[in-house]
Amino acid sequence: MASKAGDWRSYQRVILPPVKDLHQVDVYEQHGGYKALRDVLTTDAWDPASVTNEVKKSSLRGRGGAGFPTGLKWTFMPPVNPDIPRFLCCNADESEPGTFKDRQIMEYNPHLLFEGMVMAGYAMTIKTAYLYVRGEYADWITLMERELEKAYAKGYVGENIMGSGFSMDIVIHKGAGAYICGEESSLMNSLEGKRAYPRIKPPFPAQKGIWGYPTTINNVETLACVPLIIQKGGDWYASIGAQTAPGPLLYGISGHVNRPGVYEYPTGMLVTDLINDVAGGMRGGKKLKALVPGGSSTPVLRADMIDGVTMDPDGLREAGSMLGTAGMLIMDEDTDMVSFLRRITHFYHHESCGQCTPCREGTGWLEKLVTRIDEGEGNLRDLDLLIELCSQMEGRTVCALADAAAWPVRHTITRFREEFEAKCRPSLVPAGGVLANA
Amino acid sequence: MADLTSIPADQLVFTDDEKKQIQTWIGRYPTADGAVMRALWMAQEKFSFLPPEVIQLVADAVGIPYAKAYGVATFYTQYFKEKKGAYVLDVCTCFSCQLCGGYDMMHYLEKKLGVHKGETTEDGLFTIQEAECLGACGSAPMLQVTNGPYVHNLTEEKIDAMVDALREGKMPAFTSVTLPQDEDDMGGNRRSDVSVVEAYSVRPVSETIK
Amino acid sequence: MPKIIIDNETLEVEDGARLLQTCLDEHLDVPHFCYHPAMSAPANCRQCLVEVGMPQMDRETRQPVIGEDGNPVIQFMPKLQTSCSMNIADGMVVKTHRTSELVKRAQKDNLEFLLINHPLDCPICDQAGHCPLQNQTYKYGPEGSRFEFRKVSKPKHVELGPRVVLDGERCINCTRCTRFTQEVSESHQLTIIERGVHNYPMTPPGVEFDEPYSMNVIDLCPVGALTSKDHRFKARIWEMSQTPSLTTTNAKGSNCTYYVKDNLVLNVTARTNMDVNEYWLADEDRLDYQKFNNDRPSGPSIGGQASTWDDAYAEAANLLRSVDGDRMLFIGSAHATTEDNYLLAKLADAVGAARPQYIPHVEPGHGDNWLRTDDRTPNAQGCERLGFAQVDAQTLKARVTSGDVSVLYVMEEDVVGSGLLEAADLAGVQVILHHYHSTNQTLPAAAVALPAAMAVETVGTFVNCDGHAQRLRPAKAIKGVNRTLAMELGKSRADKHGTPFDRWYNEDNLVDCEPGWVSIPALAAALGHDFSYKGPRAIMAELSNANPAFSGATYEAMGDNGVRLTEVGAAAL
Repeated sequence: MASKAGDWRSYQRVILPPVKDLHQVDVYEQHGGYKALRDVLTTDAWDPASVTNEVKKSSLRGRGGAGFPTGLKWTFMPPVNPDIPRFLCCNADESEPGTFKDRQIMEYNPHLLFEGMVMAGYAMTIKTAYLYVRGEYADWITLMERELEKAYAKGYVGENIMGSGFSMDIVIHKGAGAYICGEESSLMNSLEGKRAYPRIKPPFPAQKGIWGYPTTINNVETLACVPLIIQKGGDWYASIGAQTAPGPLLYGISGHVNRPGVYEYPTGMLVTDLINDVAGGMRGGKKLKALVPGGSSTPVLRADMIDGVTMDPDGLREAGSMLGTAGMLIMDEDTDMVSFLRRITHFYHHESCGQCTPCREGTGWLEKLVTRIDEGEGNLRDLDLLIELCSQMEGRTVCALADAAAWPVRHTITRFREEFEAKCRPSLVPAGGVLANA
Repeated sequence: MADLTSIPADQLVFTDDEKKQIQTWIGRYPTADGAVMRALWMAQEKFSFLPPEVIQLVADAVGIPYAKAYGVATFYTQYFKEKKGAYVLDVCTCFSCQLCGGYDMMHYLEKKLGVHKGETTEDGLFTIQEAECLGACGSAPMLQVTNGPYVHNLTEEKIDAMVDALREGKMPAFTSVTLPQDEDDMGGNRRSDVSVVEAYSVRPVSETIK
Repeated sequence: MPKIIIDNETLEVEDGARLLQTCLDEHLDVPHFCYHPAMSAPANCRQCLVEVGMPQMDRETRQPVIGEDGNPVIQFMPKLQTSCSMNIADGMVVKTHRTSELVKRAQKDNLEFLLINHPLDCPICDQAGHCPLQNQTYKYGPEGSRFEFRKVSKPKHVELGPRVVLDGERCINCTRCTRFTQEVSESHQLTIIERGVHNYPMTPPGVEFDEPYSMNVIDLCPVGALTSKDHRFKARIWEMSQTPSLTTTNAKGSNCTYYVKDNLVLNVTARTNMDVNEYWLADEDRLDYQKFNNDRPSGPSIGGQASTWDDAYAEAANLLRSVDGDRMLFIGSAHATTEDNYLLAKLADAVGAARPQYIPHVEPGHGDNWLRTDDRTPNAQGCERLGFAQVDAQTLKARVTSGDVSVLYVMEEDVVGSGLLEAADLAGVQVILHHYHSTNQTLPAAAVALPAAMAVETVGTFVNCDGHAQRLRPAKAIKGVNRTLAMELGKSRADKHGTPFDRWYNEDNLVDCEPGWVSIPALAAALGHDFSYKGPRAIMAELSNANPAFSGATYEAMGDNGVRLTEVGAAAL
């Protein structure tokens, strides 16, 4: 299969363009920043619906991991009712292991995010937007607060933006260390000052969001793309990269490569191009063993599974994984997959909010089983039990954390079965235990 | 135990400025409850941790039930319910950091400071904690100092230097890690307003990953 | 009315109802823990999962697509849905464990998860025998455990407050208790603390769970995580008989269930009555039962000397014959049943005395807007509706001390203990007393003392402060044979399901007393008056016909949940 990223070598970055000090508002303006916003708000060329339509035309899909079409999500907001407030939340919780791309936007191009938020607010007639940033990003919150103040001072955010009559506030909300807050309904509860348990859906955020009001939640990178789409056109955006999920993408490459880091390229890059070319190949001349393409929740791919695989939702789905956040972890031949999985199960166990039974109890049980195997005290029926437990957790919970915890277990064991079996002791007891569950 | 960690009554107050700040935050949300997380952060920065009486103070200042504030405070990892060392070293050992020497760095730190993770040194200066992914996977292994600056690309030498500086009360400066494409396109970091810059580079081989 | 199909059966149901509540109303068992009809449905226990599908609609015609078998094509949702959070819709098709292997599997898996960290406390846990976790595991759960690790450890035996004890390990995090304090009692004294598997409910440090309705969480808790400090370890649920009846602490008449073992009342829990107390009880109602067990009299007495009932009746009759009615004073009671007060009024009338009065016991400031009232008696309304005036302290004292009264008839009250009179005031007065306790302070002055059955030992009617007439049922047996009481006496589990010829019987703790509707007619008979009734049922039948203030208050109408009587103004009384 061929790369869907076109001539990526001559790709010109737009989300993180090579402009010195672009994070400062003056530089951003000089670079053409906030011009698209001025066109949208102060000319007759754009009414709210047309902004949404342009986003739909672009086929922009959410960059938070779920990949839901953004334009379509915006249409879920109910018709404007002047008595009912409406909200936008930007999800900057970025806690998915392997993901560190939103932080680059927050550090190097925050005004692009602010501009995108105001445009989204205009499209959906929203007066207040919350930028929910994970608490660990304290230094970047400070940076953004400083730049946001400047944006306010210049009239790009706040009352009567650029004299247009449209007003929108951006409030930066500081998280305090919980992966679950990246789940949109948990984010809403956290914002409301409650314990951050996810909510049952329906109702969906656009019907009943924060404080019961219509709310749209979008990822940082998603909103950062909006000014680009307005400025250069939805068609332009749709022409970049993979056809079914186009646009520029921030690939976060980490692990056993020579050149880790966040790279901006079109969607649909070949995995092999990213590893061998972009990231400078495997370090120390080692061979690739495994790759997690989109953050810890996405199923691991063996080295023999990545030939011709492209980094877009369809490509990865065909390969047996998901795009997720495009946070790629590259693992070389010396990696112990059992210990690797153990640490992942610990992560999910620690981060489970504890609200619903299968996740609260299941993540702990998964961790204990994998730990036992890693310590050399496990046996073969533990492996079968682990797979069964995955089935018991998936699809039964309030939110997807249980699925995200189960997928790595299921697929790492399935795809590296020999390695797990090698660490197990053989057992004469059949799978399911002595007291056989029918 | 209460004597060592409780806040004396005369200090258990918010200044007028702090109260004004809380009111500002309250004004930014449809109800006062939205301000509780910011208020808890402010209280933690003021009192260095959140014992029950401080959480009660926050609850009263924001105007929500004490039980609600307490439930919120115990939910999040970054709110400290017990007194920690002057510097809390959150070493990431998750995912990328696990495979790029995170545990090596944590064990080195444990040996160096003479405490296990979760414990505080005798002199009350350092607490080592094991953290989940901090969102700096390309510059693994790394750690965060007391919910503040990140220290990227850890090596034993770097840890030594950081600890020495902390002993003198000097927090690590903010580090901007250069995007690889910026190195190619601009010859280095794009920011002129940071003093410390590092580049992404080959990550260390892990001795241990648990 | 919308029609839904549950397990291939079509049902017409209420619009807007929750699917789980609909199933429960139809007596279809769907296992659940966190759902409670009085509170929000967080759907976090995940036990009530079912398969739900809706008819596939044609996009253009907006009509259901019809399949080959002539029925609408049903599109089932890809994931199982929690029935507690699902609102029913017309055409919905539901599969419970009765018709779905997937649902059966989900229920079993969920119970397996609940049990992996749940401590093996059944042998020492109060909830055993009435534990939804036990019951549902038995019906829907796995046979054994596949969990081979150390269970998560949490605080056990924590005194959350003066009346409620928490066992953190047993908690399944259903959040019913915290939601109660947030949504129902609004005391906000409980919250879940920590995160993940370390969650458990707790008060914030320094706060006691001492709100006046704290013990309701004991009823709510589906496992033994929240137990009553008072009742812990006293008895197993199957050892006690259970009787639906009423509380007596105040005028709200909250419905309760009394638990009795060996003729001692051991526990009180809430009984649902949507017209009175909904699902709840005040803590004071739950703890006010020792009075039924302690300091009970050993039998009738004449002048302080033990006597037989017949002798006591004869002596009392003598006293009543000895003077004219205008030298007698009758005092009824707001603690006593309507039937007893009614018979007392008839007796007073028969001997030519004025209508009885009753002693008010009102504590201003004690009541709240919920289940506590300033009035600390259960039947003041009953007395009012019978036309009894309230005793005025000064008038009473004046009359008695002036020598105006020769015979003072006190039914189920304590004039000295209430501070109305002093023992010395009764020096020249012949007192006929029906009393509950041997510690009754009027007792030493009584010429004739007749032990009276208390609310848990009798059949009778209380009218609450809102005019709701409700029935008492006997929970505790008394000495002697009384067919009315025997027919209605609450039974323990063994007796309910066992042979009627081998009922549990115990002589211990039986009090030699009589209900008012036995002793007053007996006394009247000694005077030559015929007050015979076929039982209290007949008394109320007569009263409901004769007195408009009690119109409609028949035993049939009152049933289990009582009947609301019309409001009566003071003038009508």
